[in-house]
Amino acid sequence: MTILEELTPIFQEVFDDDGIVLTRQTTADDIDAWDSLSHMNLIMAVELKFKVRFALGELQSMKNVGELADLVEKKSK
Amino acid sequence: MGNTLIVDGQYNIGHICTRQQCEAGRAGRIAMRWVTPAMERRDYTFADLEAGSNRFANVLAGLGLGRGDIFFTFLPRMPEQFLAFLGALKLQLICGTLFSNFGEEALLDRVGDAGARVIITKKGFLKKLVAIRHRLPRLQYILLVDAPEHLAADILSYPRLMADASADFTVPPTASETPSVLHYTSGSTGKPKGVLHAHRSVLVQNATAADILDLRPDDIFWCTADQGWVTGTSYGIIGPWSLGVTQVHFGGGYSPELWFRLLQEERINVWYSAPTALRMLMREPTEFYATFDLSALRHICSVGEPLNPEVVHWARRILGKEVYDTWFQTETGAIMIANRPGLQVRPGSMGRPVAGIEPAILADDGTAMAAGESGNLCLKEEWPSMFVTYLNNASAYASKFRDGWYYTGDTAWRDGDGYYWFQGRSDDVINTAGHLISPFEIESALIEVPEVAEAGVIGAPDDLLFEKVVAFVSLHRPYEFTPELELKIRLHVTNKLSSVATPHQVVPLETIPKNKSGKIMRRLLKARYLGTDAGDLSTLED
Repeated sequence: MTILEELTPIFQEVFDDDGIVLTRQTTADDIDAWDSLSHMNLIMAVELKFKVRFALGELQSMKNVGELADLVEKKSK
Repeated sequence: MGNTLIVDGQYNIGHICTRQQCEAGRAGRIAMRWVTPAMERRDYTFADLEAGSNRFANVLAGLGLGRGDIFFTFLPRMPEQFLAFLGALKLQLICGTLFSNFGEEALLDRVGDAGARVIITKKGFLKKLVAIRHRLPRLQYILLVDAPEHLAADILSYPRLMADASADFTVPPTASETPSVLHYTSGSTGKPKGVLHAHRSVLVQNATAADILDLRPDDIFWCTADQGWVTGTSYGIIGPWSLGVTQVHFGGGYSPELWFRLLQEERINVWYSAPTALRMLMREPTEFYATFDLSALRHICSVGEPLNPEVVHWARRILGKEVYDTWFQTETGAIMIANRPGLQVRPGSMGRPVAGIEPAILADDGTAMAAGESGNLCLKEEWPSMFVTYLNNASAYASKFRDGWYYTGDTAWRDGDGYYWFQGRSDDVINTAGHLISPFEIESALIEVPEVAEAGVIGAPDDLLFEKVVAFVSLHRPYEFTPELELKIRLHVTNKLSSVATPHQVVPLETIPKNKSGKIMRRLLKARYLGTDAGDLSTLED
């Protein structure tokens, strides 16, 4: 299973939407419930699932889900 | 105020913002430049607003709605929001707007209390409404802006209905007292209250858009507020369009790069935003701002929470612009106290009263406080944009008035020159990033989590948000507080209420302090959290 595939159920749970289908290009503008506050929930969920920790600067520079997946993969190694 | 605004006694906001502008020769003028998150532009003239809102009024009439019926929009920022709002008002419906991040419980509290008959939303939000539909017996139709065909007899396609509707609609003569806009606001106890306004509010919204925001006929204006809140309707729709001013509306979220591109490329003259957004912008490096041409921008206005002096000084230094703080509430309908062009800004001050508005600082017993003394910020009742009532809650409405004064729930003081200075709230309502949040609502949601036995919620000072939501929970045995449980708690609040109500911090406690009658002692929680003196503890339960 790819990181992107593993991220999908996390996004669905965090944003309470079973219909979310992620691509590498998905951004906050594509998911109605994804705002700066729910983003904190997302990061906490990803950290717990993958047992990683993100630095503040890393989160601010992320532009889309693809970059999040890459960062998770890098930190999981 | 409004001496040329009201023609032949027609107070209808929908009419004034569309038809009246066309009749004044502005039919071809751009009313709204809609900018998508991808920065694509689509223009709507006042003639487009007139035709689109007429069509929607006809759609609603065709569904059997009429004067006094309640209609809600539940949409993110998108053009349909504006046509639906204005169309509903033209038909003399009461139009409520719901923040697009509301969860099921928040929706139920509002739509259920109001007894709304129709809601317009989008397919992605339908799940939330379907989940509570059985508890909304008066809800007859859900309209979907992105469904090309009707999904069921009561779940209808907005595009299909609009395509079949006439663009001609004659707005009935609308008296000043006709109910118009409905926004729900949070208190420190009980469910949110429906603040109902009347069409007469347009008098102050129009006058303050001109005199305080200083909008001029050829201006381009951008208000970043969501239409789910009062600023988004009073100054993201009514005030500017009642003046015939062009507005930019942006479908994306906070982004320094995109926001400053908008200010530059759209040649925005006046920008109305919130202190939290401005404080976030202060985090960008100074060099970032040097790349943008802000020569069209005359000034910035701010609303929602107190504006700290640092923001005023930063904007002067880095942007070369003045920031004018303004103060109002959902209940006031329009700006009441403000800084403005032509009035010397005292950084940190709320400014001075708007023309025709009479504030006062009163003690709890109604005694007027002297200059420099803190007390209840009150307004002399009967200002033109004063709310009509709290829907279905006349006693709560009555409790806000005493001896001819409206008690705002804010505390403040006035200096010797008539400037007002915000002090805080006289209740437990939390102001986070300009959103008023009820601790009671969050506590109610928290104890729905099976592991949580009791909960207490406070607002704690925060450099960015003004206040942040801090939740204290005690757990049923044998549960333990873990990061997984914290996430579960956060997600529950987000999905039941909204992201803005989500605690920034969840603190486990053995017990939640209560007084002898079982009331949560938020004052004590706050004092413990801040490490300050808790004061009188004689009422604390054993």
